Amino acid sequence: MTATPASRRGGHLPRRLSAAFWFAVPFVALAVIWAIAVELSGVERRIFPQVTDVASAFAEMWRSGDLFTHTGASLRRMGLGVIAALLTGIPFGVLLGSSRVAAAFFAPLLRFSVALAGIAWIPFATLWLGYGERAVVFIVWNAMFFALAYNTMLGVQRIPTQLIRAARSMGTPRHRMFVEVLLPGALPNIVTGLRVGLGYGWRGLVAAEIIAASAGLGYSIFLAQKYFRTDIIIAGMIIIGALWLVIDRALLAPLERRTVERWGMKAVNL
Amino acid sequence: MRTLEISNLHKEFVDAYTGQTVVAVGDVSFSIEQGEFVSVLGPSGCGKTTVLNIVAGFDTQTSGSVLVGGKQVDGPSPERGVVFQSFALFPWKTVLGNVTFGLRMRGVPRADREAVAHQYLELVGLQGFEAKYPHELSGGMQQRLGVARVLANEPEVMLMDEPFASVDAQTRRKLQEELTGIFETKRPTVFFVTHDVDEAVFLADRVVVLSSRPSQVAEIVTVPLERPRHWRSALDNPDFRHTVTYLTDLLAAGEPNADESEDAPETSAAAGAVGEG
Ligand SMILES: Nc1ncnc2c1ncn2[C@@H]1O[C@H](COP(=O)(O)OP(=O)(O)O)[C@@H](O)[C@H]1O
Ligand SMILES: [Mg+2]
Repeated sequence: MTATPASRRGGHLPRRLSAAFWFAVPFVALAVIWAIAVELSGVERRIFPQVTDVASAFAEMWRSGDLFTHTGASLRRMGLGVIAALLTGIPFGVLLGSSRVAAAFFAPLLRFSVALAGIAWIPFATLWLGYGERAVVFIVWNAMFFALAYNTMLGVQRIPTQLIRAARSMGTPRHRMFVEVLLPGALPNIVTGLRVGLGYGWRGLVAAEIIAASAGLGYSIFLAQKYFRTDIIIAGMIIIGALWLVIDRALLAPLERRTVERWGMKAVNL
Repeated sequence: MRTLEISNLHKEFVDAYTGQTVVAVGDVSFSIEQGEFVSVLGPSGCGKTTVLNIVAGFDTQTSGSVLVGGKQVDGPSPERGVVFQSFALFPWKTVLGNVTFGLRMRGVPRADREAVAHQYLELVGLQGFEAKYPHELSGGMQQRLGVARVLANEPEVMLMDEPFASVDAQTRRKLQEELTGIFETKRPTVFFVTHDVDEAVFLADRVVVLSSRPSQVAEIVTVPLERPRHWRSALDNPDFRHTVTYLTDLLAAGEPNADESEDAPETSAAAGAVGEG
C-alpha cells in the first residue's frame, strides 16, 4: 500500500539486476539438475532431451524462422482474444454489478462457468467455427470472459455507496458513471480478474492450438511429438512459460503499479 | 431568502429482516436562510442522516416536502453538495482531480475549472498538494479536500453529515475552526448534522434540535455568538456555555430513559446524555 517511490519504479539499476539474478537462479539450478539427470540415467533422446539439444533446437527454430512464425501466430490470437474478452467481460461485469437482481441471478452461473471456461469449450469451438484461427481466438475469449466478468461484478459491488452518491451529487450523468466511477472503482478486482483470466486464456490458447491450428506454439509442440523431437517440445514449452512471465511482468505488474497501487486501493485478496 | 425549506417531513423504512415499519423521521419542519449555518442536533438514531439523505436526493420521503431555492428536490444535484463522514473522495483521482470533478461533469473548460480549484484548495490550506492522491493525505486533510470539492461547485447548500466524526479530537477542533473561517469568508449555506453539542453550537447560527424517534423538531435555538469565532474565546464565553448547557438539558429531557426508567435519578440522566452527545 505505502510503496516507497523507489520500489514503485522498480528500484535502482543494481537492485533490479540483483532481482533479475535471484529470479534466474532457480531456473539455472533446474537446468543443471536436468543435465546431470539425463547424463547419469542415459535416457533416450526421443524420450527426453539433453539441455544442449534444446539449446540447438532453439537455434534451429531461430534460423528457420519457425520461432517467430509460431510465437507471432500465438501472440496474435492471444491479443485478439484478450481484446474481445476485455470489451465484453468488463461491461457485462459492470452491468451485473450495478443491478442486485442481475447479480443474484448470474453469479452462480458465472462461478459455474469459470470452472468450465476455455478448454472444455474446444469441441464446440471447432464444431461452430471449424478448425482454425477463429476457434482458437474464441477459446481465448471464452477462457477469460467468465473470470473477468465475475471479478468485475464483485469490484462494482464493492464500491462504497458513498462514492457513487458523491459522484451523483456532483452532477455526474448516469451514462458517465461507467467511465468516471464504476470502472476505476472496480479496477482492483478487474486486475485480479485479468490476471486469473489471462492465465486461463494462455492455457486455453495452447490447448486450442494443439487441436485446431496449423501454426502457433501449441501446434508446434504437438507436431514435434509426431517426429519424436522432444528437444523442440521442451523448447516450445519454455517459450510458452517464458512468454507468460513476460505478459505477467511487463503488462499486469506495471498496470497494477500505475493504478491500484498508486491510488492506495490494492485489492485485499482474491 | 429561504434556501432550504423542509415541511412536515416524514419517512418510514420497512426493516428488511423483521418486515416491521420503522419511523425514521416523524414530523420535521424547519428552514435555512441563504448564507446561514444551521446545525441539526439530535441523539444517534433519531433520523438526522435520513433527513440529510432526503435533502441530498439520495432517498425519498414518505410524505412532506423539501424545497431548495423554491424547487422540489428530485434526485441528487450539484446544487446540494454533500460532505460525507467517510470523506468519499475518489481514490483514483488526485487532489486536483477530486476538486475539479464536479466542474468537469458540468462541462466547465479545463483552465477555468483549475483556476476555481486552486482558489478553493488555497481556501482549505491544500495548495501544493494538487498532485497527491487522497490516501497520501491525513484524515484532516482528506476532509478539507472533501469540503473544497463541494464548495468548488458553489452549491446552493452544503450538506455535511457528521463530517468530523472520524478524525481525532485535536484535528476535529482544528477543522471546526477552519470551517468557521471558511464560512465567514465565503458565506455558503450550510446544513450540518451532528450529535456533538459543542460542535453544533460553535459552528452554527441556529441549532435545530431533533427529539429521539419518531423525531420532531424539539426546539430551534439561535446561537448568541459573534463571528469570527475561535475555540479559545468561545470556551471562555458565558453565552456559549449557557447555550451548550441548555441544549444538553434539552437532549437529556428528550431521552426516553430520562422519564421512563424509574431508578435513574434525574441528575445522572442528564450527565449520561452529555456523555452520549
Ligand atoms: N435504509 C434503512 N432501512 C431501514 N432502516 C433505516 C434505514 N436507514 C435508517 N434506518 C433507521 O432509521 C433510523 C434513523 O437513522 P439515521 O437517520 O441514520 O439516524 P442518525 O443519523 O440520527 O443517527 C434508525 O433507527 C435506523 O435504524
Ligand atoms: Mg447519522
